[in-house]
Amino acid sequence: MPDPIQKPRPVAPPAPGGGGGDGPREPQVDKPNTDDLLKRMRKVDPDQAKRYRQRTGQ
Amino acid sequence: MQIQFGLETEIGISRAESRDLDVVAESIALVRSATAPGVRQRWDYRQEDPHQDARGFRVRELRQDTDEANYFAQDASRPLSFSEIKSDLVLRNGARFYNDHAHPEYCTPECATLEELARQDAAGDALLIDCARAVGAESGNPVLLYKNNTDFRGHSYGCHENYLLPRQLPWDRLADGMQAFLVTRQVFAGAGKYGWEEEDRFGGPGFQLAQRSDFFSELQSVDTMQRRPLVNTRDEPHADPAKYRRFHVIIGDANLSPFATYLKVGTAALVLQALVNGAPRERLPRLADPLAALPAISRDRDWKWRVRSAGGRETTAVEIQRAYLQVVRDFAPPADPAWARLLADWEQVLADLERDPGATADRLDWAAKHRLIEQFRAAEGIDAADPWLRSLDLAYHLLDPAAGLFYGLLESGAIRLPFPRERILGLPLAPPPDTRAALRGGCIDRFGPQVESAQWDAVILRDGRQRIEVDLRDVFTPARVAQGLGALAAARRPADLLALPFAKIL
Repeated sequence: MPDPIQKPRPVAPPAPGGGGGDGPREPQVDKPNTDDLLKRMRKVDPDQAKRYRQRTGQ
Repeated sequence: MQIQFGLETEIGISRAESRDLDVVAESIALVRSATAPGVRQRWDYRQEDPHQDARGFRVRELRQDTDEANYFAQDASRPLSFSEIKSDLVLRNGARFYNDHAHPEYCTPECATLEELARQDAAGDALLIDCARAVGAESGNPVLLYKNNTDFRGHSYGCHENYLLPRQLPWDRLADGMQAFLVTRQVFAGAGKYGWEEEDRFGGPGFQLAQRSDFFSELQSVDTMQRRPLVNTRDEPHADPAKYRRFHVIIGDANLSPFATYLKVGTAALVLQALVNGAPRERLPRLADPLAALPAISRDRDWKWRVRSAGGRETTAVEIQRAYLQVVRDFAPPADPAWARLLADWEQVLADLERDPGATADRLDWAAKHRLIEQFRAAEGIDAADPWLRSLDLAYHLLDPAAGLFYGLLESGAIRLPFPRERILGLPLAPPPDTRAALRGGCIDRFGPQVESAQWDAVILRDGRQRIEVDLRDVFTPARVAQGLGALAAARRPADLLALPFAKIL
């Protein structure tokens, strides 16, 4: 028989920039490593993800 | 290493101008644009059966059957046959490329080495990029392909792994033994995601390790589209079912970084080999609540990844992985230098994750994505909840060397490859030389017009009035593959393949 249904407890991630405690820390954010990459990122349409819609797959 | 493996990756598809986009039509058009050498619309669907459960029963229906029936009903209005909608292309390298409902899907051929898998996965990316260029150029509306696993609206699609195992490994030992491994490996195998989701809805902003970890709610089941399980029980070996089983892993993310793929598949293969070699149950880590641990690890912004073991002890995902690594050392110590290096790379990445997770940004997708986008966010003053971050996340996965952010990192020298670049990237399409894929690909290359049908475990060829089946269900040793390749090299026509002990007239 299949296992009984178990729903994971929803755990929203803390607000970005959070953290704390005694574990490993987020890496220090350095300056962007190349101009080319910055140019690529500036060309990304900020609304692209809003328009992106897919069918559920496997 | 006796275990062979492969990947099947569903791709997200869109257009630069995407109003009223029909993703099914887009996926069909993309797959049909492929010009790579292969045979078209000859996949043998009669051999597929996703309803057989490895726990020893057959389910009457999958949860997705209703959805699939609805999709088929919608697709029936298209002026295309089932075969045309699927548009299967079996390629010269033994791979499969087709439309899986609404996603172009590339399945690598069976591989016996991690270097070969890196080559075959890169070949799939190159094929997809070529198709996108062709369709985009024809229409003047660029095609955007995303090697990711979500649309940020609660619709996920997969990158599945397949591992061929001896049947004598009991299912319960396999499933129990792999569960904690699959839940915790996201610390190095996750592709990173800006946002969290539930089924069919966006949840909210925030960064997490894995694209897929929002979408699993069962411990085990045969389903793959709804209420997905940590361990998929589909029992469809694509091989002699008396001798083999295929461990079908659906929990993983699609990786852009070849190093992440190398770790993801290589470590799984090593742990599976340890299980095959008899690693005892008491040596294998177990989690108190694996379903809760999956999103908790993924969403932990402290990057400590604490979990509770089945015995109640507090531990971490890294420590769980380290316990698996020790099991591999004790029960499947690799003699082959390539696998020994994988073991060392696994150990190193775990040490780096514990010491300074950011140090893994040269190898792991989630860390590379996070560093890059956080750099940009700081430079541009973008709010942490700005939807732009999800667009940048998508752009990381864009299969376009000129615009994709992963490719930008690769070209800037920020990404380490697990093998020399010239051995895995930009190579002509060729099958792995040492698995049955070489026979599948060889039959297509030599006798393509006479290939009546192909599947993972058989190729059927026509020669005059004869139908000849090359049965690949038990062609897994180097000797068997070499025997097949010898016969193929000597054959002037398909009937000559009847010299093989695993070929017959139907």
